[in-house]
Amino acid sequence: MPVDNRRLWTPEETIPPEFITKYRPTTELVNQNGKRRDGREANQHRPTYLKAGAISQAKGSAYIEMADTKVIAAVYGPREVMKREDFTMSGQVKCVFKFATFSCKTRQKHIEDDREKELSMTILEALKPAIRLDKFPKARLEIFITVLQDGGSALAAAITCGSVAVADAGMEMYDVVIGCSLRQIGERSLIDPTTDEESHRSLSQSDEKSNETSQAMMTVALMPSINQVSSIIQKGELSIDGAKQALKQCLDTARKLHPVIKQCLNKAVEAKLKR
Amino acid sequence: MAEILMSEAERTFILHGIQDNVRSDGRGCEDYRPIELETEVVSNANGSARVRLANSDVLVGVKGELGKPSLDTPEHGRLEFFVDCSANATPDFEGRGGEDLALEISSMLARAYDCPSCLDTQALGIIKREQCWVLYVDILILECGGNLFDAVAIAVKAALGNTKLPVITVRKDENDETELEISDDPYDCERIKILNAPCIVTLSKVGNQHIVDASLQEESCCLSRLMVAVTENGTITASKTSGSGSLNPESIIDMLESGKRAGTLLNKTLHAKLLEEEVKVGTKKKTMGFLT
Amino acid sequence: MDIKLASSRVLRDSLEPVGPLHLVSPGDVITSESGFMRGHGTFMEEGGGNLKASVAGMVDRVNKLISVKPLKTRYNGEVGDVIIGRIVEVQQRRWKVDTYSRLNSILMLSSVNLPGGELRRKTEEDERMMRDYLSEGDIISAEVQNVFSDGSLSLHTRSLKYGKLGQGTLVQVSPSLVKRRKTHFHNLPCGASLILGNNGYIWICPTINEDTDQTGGFVQNLEPVAGGDREVIARLRNCITALANHGIVLFDTVILYAYEASQKYSVKELLQSDIMKEIASLSRQRMEQEL
Repeated sequence: MPVDNRRLWTPEETIPPEFITKYRPTTELVNQNGKRRDGREANQHRPTYLKAGAISQAKGSAYIEMADTKVIAAVYGPREVMKREDFTMSGQVKCVFKFATFSCKTRQKHIEDDREKELSMTILEALKPAIRLDKFPKARLEIFITVLQDGGSALAAAITCGSVAVADAGMEMYDVVIGCSLRQIGERSLIDPTTDEESHRSLSQSDEKSNETSQAMMTVALMPSINQVSSIIQKGELSIDGAKQALKQCLDTARKLHPVIKQCLNKAVEAKLKR
Repeated sequence: MAEILMSEAERTFILHGIQDNVRSDGRGCEDYRPIELETEVVSNANGSARVRLANSDVLVGVKGELGKPSLDTPEHGRLEFFVDCSANATPDFEGRGGEDLALEISSMLARAYDCPSCLDTQALGIIKREQCWVLYVDILILECGGNLFDAVAIAVKAALGNTKLPVITVRKDENDETELEISDDPYDCERIKILNAPCIVTLSKVGNQHIVDASLQEESCCLSRLMVAVTENGTITASKTSGSGSLNPESIIDMLESGKRAGTLLNKTLHAKLLEEEVKVGTKKKTMGFLT
Repeated sequence: MDIKLASSRVLRDSLEPVGPLHLVSPGDVITSESGFMRGHGTFMEEGGGNLKASVAGMVDRVNKLISVKPLKTRYNGEVGDVIIGRIVEVQQRRWKVDTYSRLNSILMLSSVNLPGGELRRKTEEDERMMRDYLSEGDIISAEVQNVFSDGSLSLHTRSLKYGKLGQGTLVQVSPSLVKRRKTHFHNLPCGASLILGNNGYIWICPTINEDTDQTGGFVQNLEPVAGGDREVIARLRNCITALANHGIVLFDTVILYAYEASQKYSVKELLQSDIMKEIASLSRQRMEQEL
């Protein structure tokens, strides 16, 4: 988006008020019954709503909603690559990922920053193995993903949404790609964390020796039919066994989401046929 | 990193070699090439290190400055990573060519160092919500010979271990305002404990096997890589896959195991060498610098 | 796992030089006498009679011809040199080959043998099948047929011993380390074959059987190479790298001496710089004794 010269620049030092309040959430992340703040079990994914064909002008598009997380993706192309040096026998894919400026707790800049650039590259690497690149030589496919509201697990939602959009565009693919996140806090693993759970840190500094030492966040992208993982991004601290466990849980959850995606794509095809 | 041209026969040779655990220079699948390390090469930085891993050459400088803590951790200091792929390394990096790679390396490092047990960032805080140490870790890639992530991580760890920050005391003066006082003695400084800092191990998948420390030729045969940041006691602080291929879940688990083994060994050897280097400070330490 | 400190580094170029050297740098006066012919790397100073050097290197005097040979240079081809190159481009009736020279070399379609060794006019079909035989990335051994006026080389593979190379390892060294000899194809007794290209590219591969395997590169053998052969090839590669790092001119004899001297170490230990230096000095001593 171009810079708006008529707008007064906000001073650099603005911060959202939440950071000055002394408010601390009163409920535990997971209460004694094993239920999380939104009533889910630890390994339960939020109910997912997927629609393909949300943007009529795009070649392919998709919209995903997982409780508070809303992501929309559009696919354009394949378009011929204009520069001669960029000709290759396999097609190229470009992916642009953006948080809408109002989507997160702190206001995002409208220019792509480093975090969004890195997430763009990550999503590209997650989606590329699924697309049959040799079917569109000398051409480029463009995928644009925007997060309208970040309620947690935005990356996983973006990966799923992006792959459904590519499928909706009629591109030949080996499989769909499903993203799933996990947050590990001490001994507990929470699937599909919300923003509170993602940004949770040890409440008191003296608490560090408690069992809250292991804090990690992992996002996995899986291609279910061929059982291949196209991407893993993990940060935090995990022991090697913890990492294996977390990986397994993410893969199991991703497989559970597969029927939802299939149903969504089937509905979209039916709708096109009826027209 | 530029893709180099290779013939199909060469690729087959490398692939079969890796399956037999005899790579083209005789190493096994989990062996590193010889590494050369030197600290305190840049006098203007608070800490610096240079690492040469076969043909890859990396220079890291750490400068500490006083700044405001970030909003969600008001009592902690912070680290900022910046990677510069200079055009010296390969002509592909001219202009904006190296930006993608630079971004990948700096975000991987930021993720790896983002956990509380790696580096005690609370010791870097000075006044809650007002002042803290911000350590700017600047990485310059002088030569690109394959396996940049590992070389960069080793250099960053050595540079942080070498960093000397002047001691700051907080006082209240007559008007009851807080004042920061820096010690005048140049030798009175704090060091940063890097015992738990991670090192990155890049595992490249070639055929059905994975290898550690791939050379440029081996890198061009591999479709998919897993980068794992491992500390000395085997904790994984960050991991990321890269490349346009996909991985089997079982291979990922094998790669994590290899990464842990290679990472713990790398960390141990690095600590021993850094201690050796420390002991030489004060006595007649020969600075080799950049002369070959 | 080997991490060394720079301060304990053994200085690399402390091998004693052989004999007196006449080293010059750009702008140095070589001689003020007239009557000498100027070779490569020299120029005559305007207005004076001085012959000056234009590159940094060693002065080479052959009778009346003075030239300066730089140590690190791109390969300058001569007719009859055996070289190893990599195909970078497939064009209409020729291939462009990278031979570490200033310009890419050219391999004409008319300079290669057709499968089976038959000689006939190249038809249109042959032009289309060019990529099937040699495509981008393939490695070939060839001989220099001709040098064009701009310095680029024209290659030919008109013998069954030249052609596309199969499985093996390519090592790159400076072109000044490979001198012209009677033969550049060596079958080493340790179980591998070596091709020393004049352009500094050296190819190491499993033993080539003179009679059965010399097919001109049309039949590619992609079966796995045996583990023992692989170790030999890896050891040779490390020995050649060690010799090249110390500036020792490469002949098959020196390489064999280095191979024998390296037997007491495992293959991967040969990657360390102090062991490389030991092997280089041992081989050089043995070379001097044998002379």
